Amino acid sequence: MRNVWLIIRREYLERVRTRSFVVLTLLLPAIMALGFVLPVRLASMNTGKPEHLVLVVSSQQFGELVRGQLLSPKSSADDDDTGEQVTRDRRSAARYLIDLDVHPNSAENETLRSRLAAGTIDGYLWLTDAAVQAKKVVYTGRNMAGLTERSWLSDSIGRALVAQQLAARGVASDQVDQLLQPVQVETVRVSHGKAGKSDDRAMFFAVFAMVMLLYVAVIFYGVSVMRSVLEEKNTRIMEVLLSSTTSTQLMAGKLLGVGAVGLTQIGIWIVLAGMIALPSLAFYPSLSEIRISPAALASFVLLFLLGYLLYSAVYAAIGAVVTTEQEGQQLQFIIVLPLIIAVFLMGPVMRAPDAPLAVWTSMIPFFSPVLLYLRIAVQPPPAWQIVLSLALLAGTIAGMLLVCARIYRVGVLMYGKRPTLPEIMKWLKYAKA
Amino acid sequence: MSSTGAMTSSPAVIARGSSTIELSNVRKTYDHFVAVDALSLRIEPGTIYGLLGPNGAGKTSTLRMLIGIIVPDGGQILVFGEPLRRSHIQRMGYLPEERGLYRKMKVLDHLVFLAELKGLARGEAAARAQRWCQRLDLTSWTGKKVEELSKGMQQKVQFIGALLHEPDLIIMDEPFSGLDPANTVELKDALLELKKAGKTILLSTHRMDQAERLCDSICLINHGRGVLQGDLNRIKAGYGKRNVQIKYDGDSAFLREKRLIESFNDYGNYVEARLAPGADAQELLHLASARARLSKFELVEPSLEEIFIDAVNQPHA
Repeated sequence: MRNVWLIIRREYLERVRTRSFVVLTLLLPAIMALGFVLPVRLASMNTGKPEHLVLVVSSQQFGELVRGQLLSPKSSADDDDTGEQVTRDRRSAARYLIDLDVHPNSAENETLRSRLAAGTIDGYLWLTDAAVQAKKVVYTGRNMAGLTERSWLSDSIGRALVAQQLAARGVASDQVDQLLQPVQVETVRVSHGKAGKSDDRAMFFAVFAMVMLLYVAVIFYGVSVMRSVLEEKNTRIMEVLLSSTTSTQLMAGKLLGVGAVGLTQIGIWIVLAGMIALPSLAFYPSLSEIRISPAALASFVLLFLLGYLLYSAVYAAIGAVVTTEQEGQQLQFIIVLPLIIAVFLMGPVMRAPDAPLAVWTSMIPFFSPVLLYLRIAVQPPPAWQIVLSLALLAGTIAGMLLVCARIYRVGVLMYGKRPTLPEIMKWLKYAKA
Repeated sequence: MSSTGAMTSSPAVIARGSSTIELSNVRKTYDHFVAVDALSLRIEPGTIYGLLGPNGAGKTSTLRMLIGIIVPDGGQILVFGEPLRRSHIQRMGYLPEERGLYRKMKVLDHLVFLAELKGLARGEAAARAQRWCQRLDLTSWTGKKVEELSKGMQQKVQFIGALLHEPDLIIMDEPFSGLDPANTVELKDALLELKKAGKTILLSTHRMDQAERLCDSICLINHGRGVLQGDLNRIKAGYGKRNVQIKYDGDSAFLREKRLIESFNDYGNYVEARLAPGADAQELLHLASARARLSKFELVEPSLEEIFIDAVNQPHA
């Protein structure tokens, strides 16, 4: 045990002290901070120059109605949507300058088109009575209207039409506003008999963050495990170490040491992310609604660590088998493939977390770090499934560790050519690790 | 410098009854290649034992079996009088053939790590490492990374790493490779000192001159088999004083006297000639002094190198 501890300490300190550790630890939060803060800053900078739209209408009155809806703060549905939140901010009256044009003829169309080309307007909407009748209006703009943009337009037009019809049937204008008030839908998730506000987007975000962290950690530190195995092999450190300790201790120490490095890094990231995210919450109010339960957080840490150990063990085995780093890189797909498959399985599992597909794929050790975590976050599965999945994962890690130790044991003493699969099988048989 | 008085297979040692290492019929094959074949040898406590042989003779495989890195396919290995166990390996210090150090680690950290793995407490390990570094002129390098050191200095670090836990048995694979003469002497002196302190030292080398000066006993191996082994002085005595070292000025025709000289080797400063069977050294002295000015004429035992080449060239029985 003392040896394992010594090896953990060495692997940990040697990695944490490297420049690349410091750089990666600081760089990733910096990039994320830029990703969060920059769009907000840019958006607020844009307010200086409003977008200039022209509505081509048959009657001034209908035009006013549509303009009123477009500029109304209520015009975008309050549907608890993070994206919508942002666009609503942007759509404050100052953001848009909307002119009415009551000369719907083809010459006017040409004029608007040339003004668009000249940049004096940003877009125009062909909203003549004929177009409205045909239920098809055309927006011509410099920037292709995005989905939210388009729904904003069609919602506003729809509401204007309804308002027009209601007014024509003699409904008072304040009643019209009342009637047009959109209905909000709030989703409530029931888990263990307790109701909680559900947020699929937040859930997906949290799970996706897990996958990304796992991916980054596996790629970065897995390679570092492989490299260190290769170094031990290519110099004769192995011989010295094996004259002091066993290959199983060596392997266990290496993986746990590297695991601790990963946890340290992610711990730092979480703290930094908190520091960066708190001020950003003012800009993204709905982000504050992401609530991760302590159980989900605990399972995040546990599954991250286990997944990380499993994938690192595979890297170590690759390191023991190959002789150069390039050869090792070629075999990386073995590691990346299961992670990619797990990402593809996220959708189906999230939709039906109790379906056989979800249950069984979350049992497979190479997927379970992602999929079991997803299931726990979405809808906690029965305890036996969690226990079984974790046991399978831990068992696989232990098995991988023993296999790696054996490959390592024999592989490191074979120099030169890469062994064939039958040769590796033979090593496994005769190496007394 | 010479190995005179190295006959330390003293009665005290025999009284202890057991050799430090005893190999009997040890065999190791890789696939179809026989690396070590029915090798038997015995190493007495407190001696320096040389495992000699050309490249690929099976030296390294033998040493690896002794420190448990590889397992023999046949035969028996006794260490400290008992079948080899892991606990024995903790009492050994091992220096591998090529450098086995983490390149990115600092010298002192590395030495402490190696010693801790052998069971030393951290503080003690650091103190001993400092002492050794001082002795081998590495003090100013203890804070540097291993990769910043020259090859020779790395070898010294490796050397220290093998000794910090004060092992009873020191196993070194080509300890002098890559060292300049000054460093070679430093390490050799350190080894002799360890021997005086009662440690047993097993080293492999293909440098016969070094083995000759350092070893009490040797085993010559070739193609995995022991071809010649035992006490070095006795081996050399067995070959008799058949060689003459001659330093001369003038006509060298006497060297080609086939009746007296079987072969000779010109070392530049002097010539070492092997007398033909039955030849009389006195006759050669007369002949030589008649033709050339002699400044040296000495009957010597054959060098280990010569014995080695002889033994290797002999078709093995």
